[in-house]
Amino acid sequence: MKHADNINTPLLYRLSFITALVVAPHFQRLDLSITLALLAVLTLRLTTLYFTRWKPGRLLLFFVTILCAVLIFSVYPLLMGLEAKVALLSLMLSLKLMECRTQRDLKIVVFLGYFTLITHFLFDQEMLLVGYIFLMVIALTSLLVESSRSSKATGWRFTSLRYSASLLLQAMPIMLVLFFLFPRISGPLWNLGVDNSTGRTGLSDSMTPGSISNLIRSRAVAFRVDFDQAAPPPRQRYWRGPVLWRTDGKRWTRAKFLQAAPVTYRSSAQPIRYQVTLEPSPNDWLYALDLPETLPPEATLLPDFQILAKEIRNQRYRYAATSRLAYHTGPLNQREQRLALQLPDNITTRMEELVRQWRLEASTDRDLVNRALRHFRTEPFYYTLTPPLLGDNPSDQFLFESRRGFCEHYATSFTTLMRIAGIPSRVVTGYQGGELNPIGNYLIVRQSDAHAWSEVWLEESGWTRVDPTAAVAPERIEQTFEFDLEENSGLGIPVIFSAGDYGLFKNLTRQFRLGVDAANASWHRWILGYSKEQQQKLMQQFGLENLSAMKLALGMILATALLIPILLYLLRLRGEVKPDPVVKDYQRFCKRLSRTGIKRFPHEGPKDFAQRVMRKRPDLKPSVNAITQHYIKLRYGRSDGTKLRQQFHRLVRQFRA
Amino acid sequence: MNIRLPERFIRRCRCNHRDEAMIGTRQIYIIPSRYGFGFALLLLLMWIGSINYANNLGLLLTFLLAGLGLVTMLHTWRNLLGLGLRLSRANQIFAGEQACFEIQLINQRADERPAICLQFEQGEALYRDLQPDSDLIVKLHIDTERRGRLPIPRLQASTTYPLGLFYAWSYIELKGEALVYPAPGPKQAVTHLPSYQRNQQGDKGVGADDFVGLRSYRPGDSPKQIDWKAQAREQGLHTKQFGGDRADLSWLDWDHYPHLDVEARLSALCRGVLDAVEQQQAFGLRLPDQILKPARSEAQRLAALRALALFGETAQ
Repeated sequence: MKHADNINTPLLYRLSFITALVVAPHFQRLDLSITLALLAVLTLRLTTLYFTRWKPGRLLLFFVTILCAVLIFSVYPLLMGLEAKVALLSLMLSLKLMECRTQRDLKIVVFLGYFTLITHFLFDQEMLLVGYIFLMVIALTSLLVESSRSSKATGWRFTSLRYSASLLLQAMPIMLVLFFLFPRISGPLWNLGVDNSTGRTGLSDSMTPGSISNLIRSRAVAFRVDFDQAAPPPRQRYWRGPVLWRTDGKRWTRAKFLQAAPVTYRSSAQPIRYQVTLEPSPNDWLYALDLPETLPPEATLLPDFQILAKEIRNQRYRYAATSRLAYHTGPLNQREQRLALQLPDNITTRMEELVRQWRLEASTDRDLVNRALRHFRTEPFYYTLTPPLLGDNPSDQFLFESRRGFCEHYATSFTTLMRIAGIPSRVVTGYQGGELNPIGNYLIVRQSDAHAWSEVWLEESGWTRVDPTAAVAPERIEQTFEFDLEENSGLGIPVIFSAGDYGLFKNLTRQFRLGVDAANASWHRWILGYSKEQQQKLMQQFGLENLSAMKLALGMILATALLIPILLYLLRLRGEVKPDPVVKDYQRFCKRLSRTGIKRFPHEGPKDFAQRVMRKRPDLKPSVNAITQHYIKLRYGRSDGTKLRQQFHRLVRQFRA
Repeated sequence: MNIRLPERFIRRCRCNHRDEAMIGTRQIYIIPSRYGFGFALLLLLMWIGSINYANNLGLLLTFLLAGLGLVTMLHTWRNLLGLGLRLSRANQIFAGEQACFEIQLINQRADERPAICLQFEQGEALYRDLQPDSDLIVKLHIDTERRGRLPIPRLQASTTYPLGLFYAWSYIELKGEALVYPAPGPKQAVTHLPSYQRNQQGDKGVGADDFVGLRSYRPGDSPKQIDWKAQAREQGLHTKQFGGDRADLSWLDWDHYPHLDVEARLSALCRGVLDAVEQQQAFGLRLPDQILKPARSEAQRLAALRALALFGETAQ
């Protein structure tokens, strides 16, 4: 194993170049000084390769190493956090590259490179990155291939790249078997303190006018839903999130419920089952269709039907839930009543006047609610993405002056009015609607589907959902909320909904987008979100329930053991040269003769051999002569007739020595 | 890497009817190299890291590399599988010199076989890349100590291609031998007088060695033999005549060295053969079991050395 121990310059160039590419995605994440140091070391490496006179001496290496160590400890004093560790690893890799001379060094650099690749996934899990990493694995592997050849490349050789790509393609089935069957250990082995509080868009647990209309501009996916049966119609797709009780006249916040409540509502509707895959968010609540019934075990249901789940922050989380779309929540307790009637200080007289007027017209609470909705419908209220800025008393200003607003304006002012009327009410935030993707047959709910609505408590139906936005812009509820942001960006301009008659181009791009999302969703479900539970479910689909880790491991080994012979068979098929049938027949002839002791020498031509045979065995003369004649004609002559070949084959078959 | 296996458990790859050995499926040993163990450690670290950060993509990469490791094992094994070897030539040497075996490596596959290492169990290792469907010659040297037949020692073909994570090797026993002549002894004091054998037809002065005299030019004489100097002195055209078809003849006799033991006698005789050849003497060889008639030719030299090398061994 000690052949050509030193690696040559072209290979070193290649190694340096690939190492730079391997580290590159970290540049954006690391401290600028670390990135600069990395680039400096890599540049130094390339310079010393180019100007062969400047061999990096030990002293220089020592000096550079000390410098890097000082730098890293000054940027990350205690090496806390992922970033610091990644910075350390990247610097180690590039410093090792500096002193890379032998086969052994090269292997260490490549192994460190593999390890560096895995760290990228701690920061980013996009498909694009995965593709990049795969290319890098091919490149690193090709270095190993190249270095283990005995003739050294003088330039870039692409055969080794192609070969390493084919190796990795062959490794893929094994990878899949291992991935799906390797017994999963859930939960971290030890806590490394993942610090991942990067700002992500999503609902928050409080609401001021404008907080949702900011969200609406984001096409980011909030979550995806698979329904076990047909999805409910758009107007019933209310995804319940944080419930807001308290208000100071401008800002709405949640109430504190300390203990979970058992689910208490009556319903005659069929339960709807579905699975939600939540994209990472900094929040700790889950979304469910109004109203949730059963939840994942780690979640708790608050009395206002808000679902909390610990330990789901910043990760993709998949859960199953059931909901019933028609319900009666029963009586209200003292505390809830007090909370649901809490009023801010800034109630104006014209608001009270408006409500008093409605009260005179309506006999019941339900009538009053309908009267209020009619008010929104008949008065010139507009639904706009860009409402004018409102001052200290947004509800009053919105109701009587601007009359242009987004769902949160409608929901908050409606709720305030209801409270003035003495009807217990609250604001619910969440998402409404979602786009049904026919390709994967699931629902995509985006940040742009964020919504706010009201709930009022009525004697005859308990908590009842009232959506004042629907009164103003029923299209918002009935249709997929999709419109051109450019067209609707003017201040205060009412939103024009497109009624689904997309142009051809738009339709095509939409189809494409849906296709990409379907790929993304299955990627998320099967790869990123694949967990112990998913594994159990997958096994259930094959009719194997409650497999122990032991049995899974056995299954995995068995499956791999099945893959390997298949691979071997394909490999053997690929490499074999099919011998010429004529040569094969002639070899058979020689073999028969060799059994009688007349062996053909490697240097002996067919003619010489035939003469020798005939000298030793005059009795075989005719057949040997004929076979040799045929062979020479077929091998060296012009004729290549199948007839002659068949004749030759017959002659050899009949030949007995 | 040198692994010693108990002799009786070794699976060997032997020659077929064409004196060619082809490495079969069951004659290949394979173990992870030290880099292979390093790679396994790396995978373990990556696995633990992925579990800890609950990072499925990390696991995916780990398993991809694990798959790569398994696949590479097959490829290392396959790099040796079906490799053909044949002894194409062995040179003749004197004991103490290095014997050179020329081994033909045959690749009948449509894929190349890079980094095939060939070595005797003790000895230098040579690395070669075999092109698709081709063959090449590798010269392996081995030290010799004693005269006689030197059958080709057991060969070891090995490879770590493609990734160096696994080491596969195979033992090959080829047919063939090198002939080792006795080491020439020191120059001996001549204990016998060389005898002359006159040409039976007398010295006709038509040899090529000794200058005999001049005669006048006759048409047809070789221009090489014309005495051009005499011509320059304007003494006329003369042709130089050479004699020497009367040869020196020596007998190399086993009994000339009564004071030496067998091997030393053979060495001395070997020296005698070499000297005789050098002086272009015809010589005969007299051994207890064999007599070579005097002659002066390359064939005579080879026959004499062969007889010395194989002295005492049962004739084939």
